[in-house]
Amino acid sequence: MFGLIGHSTSFEEAKIKARSLGYDDFAEGDLDMWCAAPPQLVETVSVTSPTGKTIEGAYIDSVFVPEMLRRFKTAKRKVLKAMELAQKRGIDITALGGFTSIIFEDMNLLREERVSAVELDWKRFTTGNTHTAWVICQQVVNNAPALGINLATAKVAVVGASGDIGSAVCRWLQRFGVGELLLVARRPQPLVELQESLGEGRILSLDDALPEADVVVWVASLPQSLQIDTASLKRPCLMIDGGYPKNLDTKAAAEGVHVLKGGIVEFWQDIGWQMMEVAEMAKPQRQMFACFAEAMLLDFEAIHTNFSWGRNNITLDTMDRIGEASLRHGFKALALELPAAREAVLTA
Amino acid sequence: MVTLATPAEATQPGPAGHGQDGLPDFTSDTYKDAYSRINAIVIEGEQEAHDNYVAIGSLIPDQAEELTRLARMELKHMKGFTACANNLGVTADMPFAKEFFSPLHGNFQNALAAGKVTTCLLIQAILIEAFAISAYHIYIPVADPFARKITEGVVKDEYTHLNYGQEWLKANLADIREEFEQANRENLPLVRKMLEQVAGDAAELGMDQEDLMADFLSSYQEALMEIGFSNREIAKLAAAALVG
Repeated sequence: MFGLIGHSTSFEEAKIKARSLGYDDFAEGDLDMWCAAPPQLVETVSVTSPTGKTIEGAYIDSVFVPEMLRRFKTAKRKVLKAMELAQKRGIDITALGGFTSIIFEDMNLLREERVSAVELDWKRFTTGNTHTAWVICQQVVNNAPALGINLATAKVAVVGASGDIGSAVCRWLQRFGVGELLLVARRPQPLVELQESLGEGRILSLDDALPEADVVVWVASLPQSLQIDTASLKRPCLMIDGGYPKNLDTKAAAEGVHVLKGGIVEFWQDIGWQMMEVAEMAKPQRQMFACFAEAMLLDFEAIHTNFSWGRNNITLDTMDRIGEASLRHGFKALALELPAAREAVLTA
Repeated sequence: MVTLATPAEATQPGPAGHGQDGLPDFTSDTYKDAYSRINAIVIEGEQEAHDNYVAIGSLIPDQAEELTRLARMELKHMKGFTACANNLGVTADMPFAKEFFSPLHGNFQNALAAGKVTTCLLIQAILIEAFAISAYHIYIPVADPFARKITEGVVKDEYTHLNYGQEWLKANLADIREEFEQANRENLPLVRKMLEQVAGDAAELGMDQEDLMADFLSSYQEALMEIGFSNREIAKLAAAALVG
């Protein structure tokens, strides 16, 4: 059995969702009430792969909302309690979505944590980052040519390059062979280490990298205040919005700039669930975050272990392995809408 | 996946008087003052638990023997917690504790008089036991060494009690739903109010109010799951604690 731990994108949205699911008390509660509220197993589903294998899964809402990030202790407890619930329900492998994965990435945050009487079995959880990184790479190599971008000579900027997903994307694109990797991140030291381990790549500030890039992979969250000077961007420019939340389309909207929601996959058939409707997916019945899909893939493949955990443990081998499983079980990386891609090719 | 906002609270120091190891100063006057009320609540809670189990036995005579056995364990716990107070040189504030429990005590007595087994079990074997288990778990890491040992022993027993209530309610689920929901509505908000009343004292002992509430609700939800309520019912029942 697989599990997904998610949360709403804002408190306002969480209350609307609670109301629509019939949880009126939650819909009327204030933020303090939500802080103390326990996680909820909201939905169970059954999913069938094109191979014919059927697995059962459950969606757990951690009752966390991003507004709680300021209450760090609460945020941590929310994640741990949701994990505890998943474990108590006997779920074999659970993916942590959205902000919940950060907590699991940083094992130091967890080490001192005691979750009441339950000892968490880390092997039952995955950040899903390996699949997310693989999907983002697919999105780059599948969509760039459709826009007339030749990856062999293209400059690909990775914003958040030293992170768990960012560094994996860099390694994969290096092996694939792109013109040049432009490495961008907030903290300089990890970037230098990444550059050394890659043996290539140019470290740039965001402002310097953007005008040079044919492709921009965003795997960092965007500060509210971030302004992108769209006039300075290359045309065409492919932007993969792999951060969370996915709000790049509001900041980089311009002619010739093609923003694609990153790390999203589409399943080969509809799944009878409600959980993705709140995640603003275009096709909520079959689209989902790649990190969630990783839990399904691991369950389909009966790999019941913490496939993705901690930071910078993703390897090309694990990406290949999850990628093969992804294709085998009917997942497809989200692509640019065809008219936009075709138009771009025509104008290029 | 993303960068976390500055963990402002993570670097904040604990409450005043807490040492380098994060443990409170067990000998300070403020600690002892707070302890006199928290300890009294625990002692009173164990005493009432004893009385309540014996009383429930009068409603289900075929279970009376088992219930008497559970009741005896509660008296043993009471003695253990009394020893904890003595160890710290604290006198438990029993009048405070009696007053503290009076609304819940009143509801239990009314249900008992009306022969409502479900309500009695919900109050004693589910609510109070789930709360005790969570509170003891939160307390153990910040307890003095003597009390820690005693409390660890007690927690193990309390699980048996919670389990007893769960099993009976599970076996009778088809008949008890309506009464259970009503009793939940009437009593769960009381638990929150009781917790709010002693939040300051609990903080002095190193226990965070939000942790206590969240842990209690997780234990409570787990009990509801064991009894056989659906996911939706569980969410609704638990929410009564937070909005009632």
